[in-house]
Amino acid sequence: MIEAIGLTKEFRVPDPDASAKRRGLFSRRSIPKQAVSDISFTIPEGEFAGFIGPNGAGKSTTIKMLSGILHPTQGEVRLGGINPHRKRKEAARTLGVLFGQRTQLWWDLPLRDSYDILAAMYGLTPERKKDRIEELENLLRLSDFMDTPVRKLSLGQRMRGDLAAAMLHEPSILILDEPTIGLDAASKRDIRSLLRDINERMRTTILLTTHDMDDIEQLCGRVLVISKGKLDYDGGIAQLRARIGLPAVMEVTFRQAESAAAAAGELQSLGDSATEAAGGLHGPEPLSPAAAGIRLKSLEDRTLVLECDLKTSSSVQVLRELEKYGELEDIRMREPEFEDVVHKLY
Amino acid sequence: MNRAEWSRFMTMYRILIRSSFRSRMQYTFNFWVGTAAAAMINAVEFALLAVVLHRFGTIQGWSIAESGYLYAVITLSKAMYRSFASDVHHLEKYLVSGDLDGLLLRPAPVLLILMTQNFSPRFGETLLGASMLAISLGAIFEDDPAIWTAIPLTVLAIASGAVLMFGIGLLTASSGFWLTRIDALQVLTEDAARTAAQYPLTIYPGWLQGLLTGLIPVAFINYMPALYIIRGTHGAWTLGLSVAVSGAMLLLSLKLWKFGLSRYQSTGS
Repeated sequence: MIEAIGLTKEFRVPDPDASAKRRGLFSRRSIPKQAVSDISFTIPEGEFAGFIGPNGAGKSTTIKMLSGILHPTQGEVRLGGINPHRKRKEAARTLGVLFGQRTQLWWDLPLRDSYDILAAMYGLTPERKKDRIEELENLLRLSDFMDTPVRKLSLGQRMRGDLAAAMLHEPSILILDEPTIGLDAASKRDIRSLLRDINERMRTTILLTTHDMDDIEQLCGRVLVISKGKLDYDGGIAQLRARIGLPAVMEVTFRQAESAAAAAGELQSLGDSATEAAGGLHGPEPLSPAAAGIRLKSLEDRTLVLECDLKTSSSVQVLRELEKYGELEDIRMREPEFEDVVHKLY
Repeated sequence: MNRAEWSRFMTMYRILIRSSFRSRMQYTFNFWVGTAAAAMINAVEFALLAVVLHRFGTIQGWSIAESGYLYAVITLSKAMYRSFASDVHHLEKYLVSGDLDGLLLRPAPVLLILMTQNFSPRFGETLLGASMLAISLGAIFEDDPAIWTAIPLTVLAIASGAVLMFGIGLLTASSGFWLTRIDALQVLTEDAARTAAQYPLTIYPGWLQGLLTGLIPVAFINYMPALYIIRGTHGAWTLGLSVAVSGAMLLLSLKLWKFGLSRYQSTGS
């Protein structure tokens, strides 16, 4: 179980208001800046949760506070009931962490040696170490490169090796920071199915950060969205979709350029008053059902590119609406990508 | 911390040192060239000192052998400190890159893990220091049985000196938790101070002697113990005080380290 209670982290940054002269050679005037403010959540045992947010939103800072690396300015973390900032060493035993961008393996030594070293750090008995390595070797298919120096492994192999390293001491909690970063499609699928296995078979609580929405969709029962240091959303994927809506992109070509221009003009003026309706999380309800969620993206000759929310109005409704301005010649639809949808959140 | 935990940490330390050494030995050529170069640099440095001494016979009443002793003791102390805690000196690298993150995730003291990273046994300096020590002691105690008590006392002084250098090094490194970039400070507290202490303290003006005794107490690595062990001008208290200063410096640096660790800011991502 992972508990975050009112987590806040303040960093001191150079004061932008201080004049250049005063900032100069000697004084380093600094002001506090909140990277993370008042984040609370609980991830119960055995849950697989995704943690997403744009770069700079405070995701890394939160992850580092959760894993005990950074001390929060305010608030508290509990990993299986243990506060990692008071009892770092004790908490470290219940926790496995993987940083996708940075290996924790011993670069110049055969992969196997890293596990020997980690086993010594966690004080595993020789028998337990042997069993555990065997188990992970099978689960993560490490046998082929157990004796290869880590620096010679492919990224996919290295990630599997790192995953085994994070799990060697049988942690009840796994924090995975971008475990699929840089991997090709096949390796990503591979890692995902392994993670699902680990979560289901060992009842390991997993918190995962990623920029790949497929990871979230395929693995996580729950999503936490952080934006500007605040927790913006915490819930299931289906509700997240419902909340953002399902914006699709439509390319509609009119027979006559004038009709296209007229439709564009009308949508433009409607759009101005109802911009928030389609995308915003906390936006007001759509003003008019007809124009609901239809937004003009561009007009080129006879073709309009529209964004519309398929939740508020079906594509047929949208077309019917457009036909009022003239005869249509061609229609093309692009299905909404979950990734694009979530990016709207940011 | 109980005994079982300590024995686990010692096992861990041993395995980490061994792995670190094996990593280094993946690049055998680099290792031996580095070792030879370090020995050579030190030899040249001392040769310069020897030339000066030879020309003038003594430095402020310190004979060539006695100066050689000071030089040998501090060289061995440094070799010991850097062998057993090499990356304490390179903490800045960990702070700038955020590599300290990984060490904080382990159920073991961060400092102990840091000490084992990039283990670099200072064979060259150790060999040079040991031979110089043997020659100096041989010359100082020619036909004098006092040498047999001087040897264990010198070993104690070297170990105490290594602890003192470790303390100074750790204190400087810990300031990195606030300052991040500390290489300039290290040049001052570690390199410059050590270079100064390679010579008898009496050659310096009073204020500098005070600085090297009171502020950056490198005088307690070799000069103070030497006053008792080889000069006999002062009592055993100089050696005792040296050990006490080392202990105090160690405690102080560990305190600051611990405090600094809770202020660690890591890096962007």
